[in-house]
Parts: sequence; structure tokens; C-alpha cells
Amino acid sequence: MTDSKYFTTNKKGEIFELKAELNNEKKEKRKEAVKKVIAAMTVGKDVSSLFPDVVNCMQTDNLELKKLVYLYLMNYAKSQPDMAIMAVNSFVKDCEDPNPLIRALAVRTMGCIRVDKITEYLCEPLRKCLKDEDPYVRKTAAVCVAKLHDINAQMVEDQGFLDSLRDLIADSNPMVVANAVAALSEISESHPNSNLLDLNPQNINKLLTALNECTEWGQIFILDCLSNYNPKDEREAQSICERVTPRLSHANSAVVLSAVKVLMKFLELLPKDSDYYGTLLKKLSPPLVTLLSGEPEVQYVALRNINLIVQKRPEILKQEIKVFFVKYNDPIYVKLEKLDIMIRLASQANIAQVLAELKEYATEVDVDFVRKAVRAIGRCAIKVEQSAERCVSTLLDLIQTKVNYVVQEAIVVIRDIFRKYPNKYESIIATLCENLDSLDEPDARAAMIWIVGEYAERIDNADELLESFLEGFHDESTQVQLTLLTAIVKLFLKKPSETQELVQQVLSLATQDSDNPDLRDRGYIYWRLLSTDPVTAKEVVLSEKPLISEETDLIEPTLLDELICHIGSLASVYHKPPNAFVEGSHGIHQHSADQFAIMKQYFSVLQVWLPATKAKGLEIAGTFSRRQGHMYMDMTFINKALQHMTDFAIQFNKNSFGVIPTTPLPIHTPLMPNQSIDISLPLSTIGPVMKMDPLNNLQVAVKNIIDVFYFSCLIPLNIFFVEDGKMERQVFLVTWKDIPNENELQYQIKECHLNADTVSGKLQNNNIFTIAKRNVEGQDMLYQSLKLTNGIWILAELRIQPGNPNYTGKKKTNATAFSYKLMVHIF
Amino acid sequence: MISQVFILSSKGDHLIYKDFRGEAKSDVVNVFYQMVTDLPADQPPVLMTHEGLHFIHVRQGGLYCVATTTANVSPFTIIEFLNRLTALIKDYCGSLSEKSVRMNFALIYEMLDEMLDYGYIQTTSTDILKNFIQTEAVSSKPFSLFDLRSVGLFGAETQQSKVAPSAAASRPIMSSRGDQEGKNEIFVDVVECLTVVIGSNGVLMKADIQGEIRVKCYLPSCSEMRIGLNEELSIGKSQLRGYGAAVRIDECSFHQAVRLDEFESYRILKICPSQGEQTVMQYQLCDDLPSAPPFRLFPTVERDSGDRLLIYLKMRCDLPPKSVVPSDFTTNLVLACILKPTTSLSQELSSPDQSAELQPSCKVIQWEIPRFPGGAQLSALFKVEVPGLSAASLLEVGPVCMSFELPKHTCTGLQIRFLRLSPAQPGPSQRWVRYLTHSDSYTIRI
Repeated sequence: MTDSKYFTTNKKGEIFELKAELNNEKKEKRKEAVKKVIAAMTVGKDVSSLFPDVVNCMQTDNLELKKLVYLYLMNYAKSQPDMAIMAVNSFVKDCEDPNPLIRALAVRTMGCIRVDKITEYLCEPLRKCLKDEDPYVRKTAAVCVAKLHDINAQMVEDQGFLDSLRDLIADSNPMVVANAVAALSEISESHPNSNLLDLNPQNINKLLTALNECTEWGQIFILDCLSNYNPKDEREAQSICERVTPRLSHANSAVVLSAVKVLMKFLELLPKDSDYYGTLLKKLSPPLVTLLSGEPEVQYVALRNINLIVQKRPEILKQEIKVFFVKYNDPIYVKLEKLDIMIRLASQANIAQVLAELKEYATEVDVDFVRKAVRAIGRCAIKVEQSAERCVSTLLDLIQTKVNYVVQEAIVVIRDIFRKYPNKYESIIATLCENLDSLDEPDARAAMIWIVGEYAERIDNADELLESFLEGFHDESTQVQLTLLTAIVKLFLKKPSETQELVQQVLSLATQDSDNPDLRDRGYIYWRLLSTDPVTAKEVVLSEKPLISEETDLIEPTLLDELICHIGSLASVYHKPPNAFVEGSHGIHQHSADQFAIMKQYFSVLQVWLPATKAKGLEIAGTFSRRQGHMYMDMTFINKALQHMTDFAIQFNKNSFGVIPTTPLPIHTPLMPNQSIDISLPLSTIGPVMKMDPLNNLQVAVKNIIDVFYFSCLIPLNIFFVEDGKMERQVFLVTWKDIPNENELQYQIKECHLNADTVSGKLQNNNIFTIAKRNVEGQDMLYQSLKLTNGIWILAELRIQPGNPNYTGKKKTNATAFSYKLMVHIF
Repeated sequence: MISQVFILSSKGDHLIYKDFRGEAKSDVVNVFYQMVTDLPADQPPVLMTHEGLHFIHVRQGGLYCVATTTANVSPFTIIEFLNRLTALIKDYCGSLSEKSVRMNFALIYEMLDEMLDYGYIQTTSTDILKNFIQTEAVSSKPFSLFDLRSVGLFGAETQQSKVAPSAAASRPIMSSRGDQEGKNEIFVDVVECLTVVIGSNGVLMKADIQGEIRVKCYLPSCSEMRIGLNEELSIGKSQLRGYGAAVRIDECSFHQAVRLDEFESYRILKICPSQGEQTVMQYQLCDDLPSAPPFRLFPTVERDSGDRLLIYLKMRCDLPPKSVVPSDFTTNLVLACILKPTTSLSQELSSPDQSAELQPSCKVIQWEIPRFPGGAQLSALFKVEVPGLSAASLLEVGPVCMSFELPKHTCTGLQIRFLRLSPAQPGPSQRWVRYLTHSDSYTIRI
């Protein structure tokens, strides 16, 4: 007897029969009946009416039957909440069972029953299971906390489950650690600043140890978690990298990519000239190549990621271009991705090889692929100047094949080649003109017309050629119409005597007979230009055009940086930031991208505070930042003098926020001429206070062996916003009412094109918390709070009208002096 | 985090559906089927989106195995997971097909429950799973001795005696407890995929080998297995071991459970195989084959008078005579765009058992060769009538793609020296070592 028979029963009284079977005395019969119920459930039949009968089967010592009943409960408890309560007692009892399998099964199933009533009963058993002696039960309980949090976050916090979860990070069983990390990561996404997953060096060390012991899937959780950590200096970054690198040779591609993500992020922190940086780059290449030997699905996802990596750090794979050569039997989507990467890696060194490949691809069967290959030849010509000639002759060969789509594609790219290398390959125009008749795609027609117009003086019958296009002017696409208009005007300016009639014809077609405003306007502009001042017209229309750039369709750098933070995720496949396709708040990711930006700022964009000319050769550039609840002054000291410098010290004047350095300046070795050092000085706000003007001014004195120097800088106010600045709703309401109106300030923020959710996300990253959001008469109202290090609360109301880039804000605080400037700084 | 997992038949029937997080309704199953069947050919099917829900799927055994998610998760994780899921279904149910899934749905639900909790992947190892799984598998086809008929049962050295039948390895790892016969078997397969590109001038342009060692274990208890590879195996471009012609690979990676303490000095892999199938080692070799590529082609393409194209192909097999016999040998000559509906073909082939025909759908001439022993030379003359043939059309001819399998042969020369099980198995146990080279893409340009 096989299970498949369950799918075939389809009689009228089926439910009735099942009911009878479920209440049969024999255990075996009951088991069979539950199986039938589940089979019906799978194909989408409603068997919820059997709920009480199935629950009755729960009290059994047969594990197989119990599991089946639990499977059913998970599915239907939600639609039968009252019935679900009937099962609670059995659950609670099972949580005490001597068999750990049953304990875990009960706690796992209870968490999956997303019914509010049941959650109350879950707390006690869960608390016990979190401390269970069996790791299988503990790991199940860890996940259960995440489930419960999704149903009732407040209860999880009140019951202290988050602390228990944090304790599990130090568990002796790596599987428990991995699940705890996964659960905490997910929970902390809904509280971006709560610092739930306290990533400090000790915890990181624990995670790295667990990394070596746990299953491949656990390794992925841990690596993903590591990638959200910000090492405090390059030495820490390097030591983490060293311990992550062995994962690169794992057989599971998901582990490999998660490791690549960590390394790609931390590479940013390593000095580029160090030996380790070079070694690490070399180590990244083989695992990426290995991914391409997987199934087509894995290959495709890998190629999308490699496409990003190649744009960010082409040096990693520059030697490996051959692995991206297309195999004859690759699926088309893999072929197209490979082609894209080949072009990105094309350079003078490998261009001959690449071109030989592309030429082969251009005669393959698949049309899309052939087109892209032809286009790729053109892109090679534009990218590698030395190869341009060879590329052009290859394209000419291909035009000779007369295969329609090949010819059209070739003409489009030849136009781009002309734009990159003007006056070099015009000898081929005659060949191109031969194919005029076969062009039926707008892109190709427009390209050909552009070429004729641009080189009208060298084409004897340019007027005839253009005239032939004019016949069906109104049937052409806008793109062709516009190009044709411009081309004929160019022709007229070059050969005014013979083409007067032609130009008048096109101008009247464009201005009088066309409904397209773009075309009409362009027509009128030309017309007036030509009729008022032909000399200027010539200057304008025939002006020298800028050359087109080498790299086309690169991803914009800020987006690229964000995507690099998401290597190995869906974002890296879609090439879109996660907030573009994932609903809800995903604070931790956003947070990490921002931190990435801060890191970059720290290592690259610093403001020069003390120029070398004013300080006898010492230059200080710096910035302020807030990382994981602490304030830092990040500075670079550069010795531009001819002597070495030692004995550095730093002191701050009294200031509005009582900012003082908490450690002496960490420069312990002499700074040699032309050397620089990056330091990060931790700050606190426990120093003496004196009001400054402007409020955030900080006066600094730096001493070295040569002299004492003074400079002042402005502290961005947002580093004073503390992480616990989220006011309770009730408190907010009361406080808002209590603050007198004279402490209120109204202001407008201009030209801010963000919607309410992105605004509150951005503000949240700066520790300005949205307490509530309301929609009043089509306007979004955001109520926000923030707290300064000196304990002052600031409350704000932000009104956003969709479509109106100007926001109106109202702000109340007990200490008015701060308010206005604050807001100015945040935006 | 995986939100749902479901398995559909190729006709879209729901075989398995399990929701882990309550984030989406079950009607998305039909949405998925609609999307995947409507997808244009040039769109990558791997990832699809519908109202904030992302579908990731793999297709195996004619089934769609799908996972959905709402978060920005790692698609690698999910694809790997789905591949493992299919492998586990194969291990537990004997094969992966609509029938076997239907018959074992309760078992698969139980497996899914242990493999995923709240969408977090827990484990995919049979060793761990077998502690929890209660349901017994139902085999779709009772295992019969007839499947062993091609094995040299009485010690006769037949053609196939060293090759275990593939059917032997497709049965559940844990069938009912009573049935003990023929159980103590272990299969070790060395499978290599060969990618070769030979330029039109006969120069070897690209040659890659991707290999793996797979173990399929039916032994109920096996604490340790030692697999000895060629002692002179060297890894990396520069390393040299042994005397003379060493066996070389560029890179390799190992299954997590493999212990490598004797690998450096003796090239011994130690593993405690879990029941079921696992890939113990993966390796690759690029650009530097130890011997000449197995097949060479000497093509001439001429334009006869008018619209006739003469294509003369001479093919040679450079494998050692007799020891290796290629099977399933097919050659495809791509004609691309010169192939018109009116194109006609006549051919002269070197042997009557071969056949050739035009395949208009993929624009190729397909030349089937049932026998092609080592050292042999074959030839074919194709006369193709193409209306409107031009000189430039000659550019369109080619490449030639061959597909074949080479049983009992590895192109790297990697061999299993020995296979030792400890402790020694009680009762008779059978150990099978199989070698296979498979043409992934073998292309010769014209």
C-alpha cells in the first residue's frame, strides 16, 4: 500500500468518512486517516471542520502520528483559534515530556500557531526549553523566540526572552549559537538601533569560534552577522579576514558567497599598499571561478554578483577572463551575463582573445545573444583604443553576412565608434550605405541617418539618401524623426545650395504636420536659427561634440557601494537596493550601508581642520562620527615638515556639550616626514560646559615637539543624539501638550524629495525616532523625538505633503536655544 | 528566511506545500506556475517576483522545487537548499519523480519540518535527520535482482563488469528494516565534465575539466572510509610530485566532513560517509590537459558551383584503442542563419550504421555515430543546397559541437587506488568504483 492513494479519494461523503476513521479505535487506522487529511490539505481542500477530531488524536505515544497531527494543527489553528485552545494542554504537557524530540516538537509547533491566545500559554514552557539540557530543544526554543516576537514583540521583551537569547550566543553547542544569531539578527531588524546583537570584540570572537564548528547553514548565519560588524581598526579587520578566509574553499556556494561578502566589506578598511591586501585579493579569485562550475541557476546568480565585484575591484578577476568565455550549451541568460563581464574585463592585454571569441559568438544561432555579441565588439573598440581598427574590420566582415539583425546591430555600434574616434574610419561609410534598404529597426535607422548627416560633406548622394527616408516621415518612430530633422539641417548647413528645398520640406513636416511637441519645438528652433542667423546656426548645429565615454552602463558608484554590502543577496541579483523590493523596515541592512558610508568617509573624505601652512608642517584633517553608541573624532595627522614629530597631545576648550577626549592622543611612535597616521579619538560629554557660538563650535589645541597649534571645528549635532531617544507614545503626548507655545518653532525644509518612510528611516539612522505616523487630509504627519547627550528631549512634528518637496515642521523643546540650529544640521 | 516551500509537478499539480512564516497565501503556488510557464526564453527563470514575494526555484526530475521569501536573503543559500532537498528526497525515496513524491508526501513533510524551522535552515545531513525521521519510505519500484543483470555476477569479465548499473544506486537509503539483502553497498563515482574549445586553426583554445568524487553509501554502519587517490596527484600550477607524468589538478574543495590529515602526504581522504549521496571532493583543471583532447576534427568548407555548400568533416578519436569506448556520440554542425526552410541536405557517411539529418529547429546537422573506437577515423561529406548562398555565408558555418560519454575514463587521470572501510563490515559488502567523463561542451570552430 502506498501513500499515493490518499490523493485519489474524491467522494462526496469524504469528510464524513474521514471523521469516522479519525475516531477509530486502532492507532494504525487513525494514522492512515490523518495522512489522508493532510493529503487533502496539500491539494487545497478545506478540511478545517475535522479540527476537533484531529486534535483528539494528539494524545498518543506514537511519534509519527503526533508529528502528523502537529502538521495539521499548524495549518488550521489560525482559522480555528477557539479550537486551538483545546490543544494547549497537550502542548504544555508535551513540553515536559522526557523525550527531547517531543519537547522540541511541541515548542516548535506552538510557535508556529499564530494565535494570540496561545502565546500566553507558551511563555512558561518556552522559558524552560531555553534552558533545556538537550541542545536540540534549546536550538528549537531559540527560533521560537523569533516566532513569538513576530506575533507579540512587547511580550517577548517583557518576559526577558531577548536576554535569554543573547545568553545562547555563548552556548556550547554551535547549532544553538547559529540559531540564536539568526533569531537575534531578524529581531534586531525591527529595532535598528537597539543594539540587540551586541557585536563587541568578545562576541565576535565567540562567533568566529562557533564558525569553525557548526553546520554549513549555521556558518551562513554567522558570516552574515559578521558582515554587519564594524571593526575598530585595520588590525581587527585583518584578523577577522584571516579567520574567515578558510570558508572560501567550502563546497557550499552560499557559504563561499557569505564569506566573500565579509571580505569585500572589510577590504575597504585595509590599507591598499599592505601585503595582506594583495594576498587577500588573490585569494578571492579562485572561489569565484569555482562557482561557475555549478548548476546554471548557481552560475547565473554568481555571475550577477561577479558583475558587481568586477565593477568595484576589477583587479580580482582580471587574469581570469577565460572562464567567462561562453560555452556552447550555456543557457541564454548565462551567456548574456558572461558577455557583459567579458567586456568589463577587456583590456589591451587580452583584447585579441576577447575579439576572437566575440566574432565566433556573432555567428551563433540565438538572436539575442548574437545582437549582444555584435554590440560587445563595438564596446571593445570604444574601450580599448588599440583594438578599434580590428573591431571595425570585424564588424565590416559581419555586415557582409547580410544577416539582417547582425547588420542593424553593427550599424548602431559603428555610430558609437564614429563618435569616439571622429574622422578615422569614415572610409567604411560607403559599405554602410549599401545596406540602407535592409534597415527596419528604429535604432538602426536612426544610427544610419545620424551617420549620413554627420558626414554629409563626404557622401555624394547624402541628399538623395535622406530624402528617401523623408517619404514615410510620419510612419517613423520619434527617435528617427528627430534624427532625420537634425541630419537634414546639418546637410543644409554643409551644402546650402542644393538642399534648400529638402530642408524646407522637413521643417514643415516637423512643425506643421506633426503632433509631437518635441519634434515641433525642435523644428521651430532650427527654423528660427536658420532664418535669423545662419552663421550662429552653423556654430550651434555643427559644433564639436564631446566624445562618448569609455565605460557604458556602469552602476552608479553609491548604488554600487550599497550593493557590495549586499553581495550574495537578492539585491545583488536584481542590482537594486533592498528597500526597492523588500517591504517593511530593514534597519540593519540600511544601517550597515550607512556605516559603510561612514567608514569610507573616515578613510577618505575628511575635512582639513588645520592646514600645514599654519602649523609648521602638521596637517590635521578630520571628522566626527557616532558608532555603536559612542562618539569619535576621526583624524588623519600628516607630517609635511622636514623633521619628525613626537610628543603629541590634544586638549579641548570648554564647550556647549562638555565634550572631552576620553583617552590621550593615541600616537605613540614618532611621525616621520611625509608620513601620515589615522586615529580615532573616543569622546565623552562629561567635561565642563560653556555655551559657544555657534553652539556646536569646538576649539582644539594640539601640541607636538615643535609647537602648540589651535584650530576650531564644528561638531555635527547628530552625533549627540543618543540611541535611547525613542519616547513612549503616552509620554510624548503629555510632554507635547506641556511644552509652552513660546518654545515652539516652525520651519520649512525645502526641496527634499523623499517619502515619509524613507525620511523616517534616514532620521532613525541618526537616532531621530518616529513615534507615530498619521495621515491627515492627504498629508503624512510624523511625530518624532530625539534626546541629546545632555538629557534634553526634542519633540517634532513633520508634515509631508505628497508631491510637495517642502516639509513643514513644528518643534517643541524645553531648551529653546538649541532648536533651530539642530534641525538645520540634520537635513 | 524561507517563507514557503512547495513542489509542483510539471503540469502544475500541488505535490507538497508547506508554509513556514505565514507571510503569503497558498494561492501564490498557482501564480508561480503561471509565471514560470509564461516566461520568455531569454529571461532568467531563477528568480521571479510577485507582489513583494520572491520565488526561487530549481527544476529537477521534471518537478519544480520552489522556495519563496519576502526578505533580502541569499539566493545561493536557497538554491543550495533546494538542491539538497531534491538530493535528500532521492536518498530517502529512491528517486525523484512525481510518483515518488506523491507516495512519500508524509515523509517529505516530516523532513521539511526538521530541515527548516521558521524558514531558518536547520540541517540537510542524513546523519542528523535519521535521528528524527519516523516515517518510512515507500519505494516506487521494488528493488530486484534483475537490475544487477549487467553486472558480471559470476566473475566474468564482461564489457560492463566494472560498471555498476545505475539502477542499483537508485533505491531508498532506509527501506523497511527487515529487508537486508543487497544492502551493504557503497558506490564511489569519479565524474568529470570536459569543456574543450578548438579554434578554426586546430589550436586548443580552452580546455577545462570539472570533476567530482561522489559517494553513495548504503552501509548501515560505517565509522570510517579511506579513499586513496593517486599518490603522485599534485595540486596547483607549480607543485610536482612523484616521477614523470604526475596527475595534476588546479584546485579542489572538499565536503565538510572530509578529514585531510593524510591527504598532504599520502593523498588519502578520510570520511565517515552518511547514508545517501554526497559529493566528497570537487576539483578542476584549466587549460592544461595531461593528454591531447580525445577528438580532433579536420573540416573543409567549400562553396561549390552556385548554391551548394560542400562540408567535408574528418574526425579522429585519439583515445587509447580498445580500453575506452565512447558512448552516445553525437556531432552537431551548426549552420545558423544559412539554414532556410528550403535548404536540403545529402550526405556520404563513412559507415552505414551512422546517420545524419537536418534539425531545422536548432539549425544544425546532426550526425549520430554509434561506434567510434579509439584510434579510428571517420568522415562525412555533407552537400547542402542553400538558395541565395553568398561568400559571406561561409562565415556562418560552424562550430561543430560533440557530445559523448567516456565510461571508465578520466581525463585528468585521477584514479581511486583503494577504498577501505573500517571497521570491516560484517557480512558481504560490495564496493563499486565507477569512472565517467562526460562532455559538457566540446566545440570545434570552423
